[in-house]
Amino acid sequence: MDALARLRGLIIDDPQGKDFRVHRDVFRDPDVFDWEMRHIFEATWVFLGLESQVPSAHDYMTTFIGRHPVVVSRDDKGELHCFINSCRHRGALVCHRAFGNRKYHVCQYHGWAYDSSGRNVHLKDREQAGYPPSFDKEDHDLVKVRKFAGYRGFLFASLAADVPSLEEHLGEARWFLDLIADQGEEGVECVPGRIVFRYRANWKMQLENAVDPYHFTSTHASYIQVLERRQKSAAADVPTSIYTNIRNAGIRRGSFAFARGHAAMWGDTPSPQARALFPSYESLVARHGEVRARWMFHTRNLSLFPNMQIAENASLQLRVMRPLSAGATEMAIWCIGPKGEAAEARRQRIRQYEDFFNPSGLATPDDVANYEDCQSGLAAWSIAWQQGHVRGFEASVAGADRFADEIGLQPERSLIGPVELGDETAFHPAYREWLRLIEAGLREDESRAHAAARGAT
Amino acid sequence: MSGAFSIDQVADLLYREAWLLDQQRWKEWLDLFAPDCRFWVPAWNQDHELVDDPDTGLSFIYYESRGGLEDRVWRAKSGTSVASTPLPRTCHQVTNIRCEEEASGRLRVRSAWNCHIFDLRAKEQHTFFGHYTHLLAADGEKLRIAEKKIVLQNDLITGFIDFYCV
Repeated sequence: MDALARLRGLIIDDPQGKDFRVHRDVFRDPDVFDWEMRHIFEATWVFLGLESQVPSAHDYMTTFIGRHPVVVSRDDKGELHCFINSCRHRGALVCHRAFGNRKYHVCQYHGWAYDSSGRNVHLKDREQAGYPPSFDKEDHDLVKVRKFAGYRGFLFASLAADVPSLEEHLGEARWFLDLIADQGEEGVECVPGRIVFRYRANWKMQLENAVDPYHFTSTHASYIQVLERRQKSAAADVPTSIYTNIRNAGIRRGSFAFARGHAAMWGDTPSPQARALFPSYESLVARHGEVRARWMFHTRNLSLFPNMQIAENASLQLRVMRPLSAGATEMAIWCIGPKGEAAEARRQRIRQYEDFFNPSGLATPDDVANYEDCQSGLAAWSIAWQQGHVRGFEASVAGADRFADEIGLQPERSLIGPVELGDETAFHPAYREWLRLIEAGLREDESRAHAAARGAT
Repeated sequence: MSGAFSIDQVADLLYREAWLLDQQRWKEWLDLFAPDCRFWVPAWNQDHELVDDPDTGLSFIYYESRGGLEDRVWRAKSGTSVASTPLPRTCHQVTNIRCEEEASGRLRVRSAWNCHIFDLRAKEQHTFFGHYTHLLAADGEKLRIAEKKIVLQNDLITGFIDFYCV
């Protein structure tokens, strides 16, 4: 079967027939992983990091766009650049650290040197080289990514040039980034401490999990029980939690589906007084009005397709997903908070983050163990389809609901219900975008192959 | 050696701690700690720079009392934590023990550790390693842990970590 036909057999998206299904090969087939790298991660906007992570001249950070190692670097004029971390000569990495500050990036192999904008400024022993004139006409600068842009301090890039503007790509989901950025008068920053973990399962397990309210009470049962134990005990120095009292709070959960694969999940906060922002409530109302301040206190998980998530619930977490293979994923995670936050609020934010979000916390390890269990079970190749992706179908409405109206949001779909509704329709935008991008890429491959075949005859 | 305690007694405490962790005798492990103990596994900030202030930077684990460790022990044994069911088998090794007495009379003990972990769920094994700094204080005839700082040298985390992995 050709690639396009195989691809189309992996997602059933039939709103009229009220059906939505995801084939298990989506999570386990190495060919699918290759498509994802070429036609999603290396063909659309992906998240790189925060502008505040490279604040000064010549600061840099390294990360990946799909399989491409890249550098985000600030030049001497303060301008940001994103280039591929590979010397033009033999391909060696020119930056080795996750974060650093360097005016010049000198390749350790043969000494080709680049400045902090990626420009080649020195080619060792060039005068004696005997290069033909054609060599001098070539561009020897580090290869720039085709598109590189920021929105409210969040940096994104695309290896492909034929993408819409970043603002258009983010679309209505921008409202949720605004609500993060606006928490500090000067924006937000990463708390020091870089934590990276790897799990042995597909990256889309994490993609789903961020907007999955259904797993909470089963996967995080031990966390909820720990909170109940803490309520009964008198131990002073244990972290407070916004989830305290979750069983009795009667909370609602909503979701919004956006274009281009993005989605958000939101809900009432069982114990808002436990939020690090709580002492700032009045000033947030003064700055942003009652409605937006209230929304800052809702739990909100935002998933920006394909590789970035922000979870504001137990604390405030930024996640960057890096797929390594069909069965392995790397997660770089950050605690973020408003710049200039009061010391006690920052301490509380950090303790709550460690308690829940860390790979050494009381919640994330249980998510990860489940992802790995799923991947192990998906080895049963004879079972074709996942079940249950239609959960929430009957509650989902086209366009805005009254909550979207309240904040002037225009999502593609909205949903609201009790927490037990456990919506899974918020996963649909990601799979739709997944299919759209891979299909476009495979079509291009096909037409290129046809053109080549015509050229050969 | 330091005051009333010999280096052998200090080493014995560290070995006993490792043994109790590996035997999953975690109530007895908790008893080695003072109720107001500090337990700290800092995150790395840069390649060779640890987070030095737990109130302004991240830790993997940070508690200023035994209560947080008691929560973890309870959770690991609860049967409701997916990651802890089944529990992995572990083997801690502690070596390179050096001890100095502080002006307060407490002992600052530095050592190197590794922990081999056999994950029964994934049927995979991995190792974490690093350095410990224990602060030990006399409690009657015994030594108790007033503070334990665990530096995790290989902080690219495989799956997850908990108190029994470090």
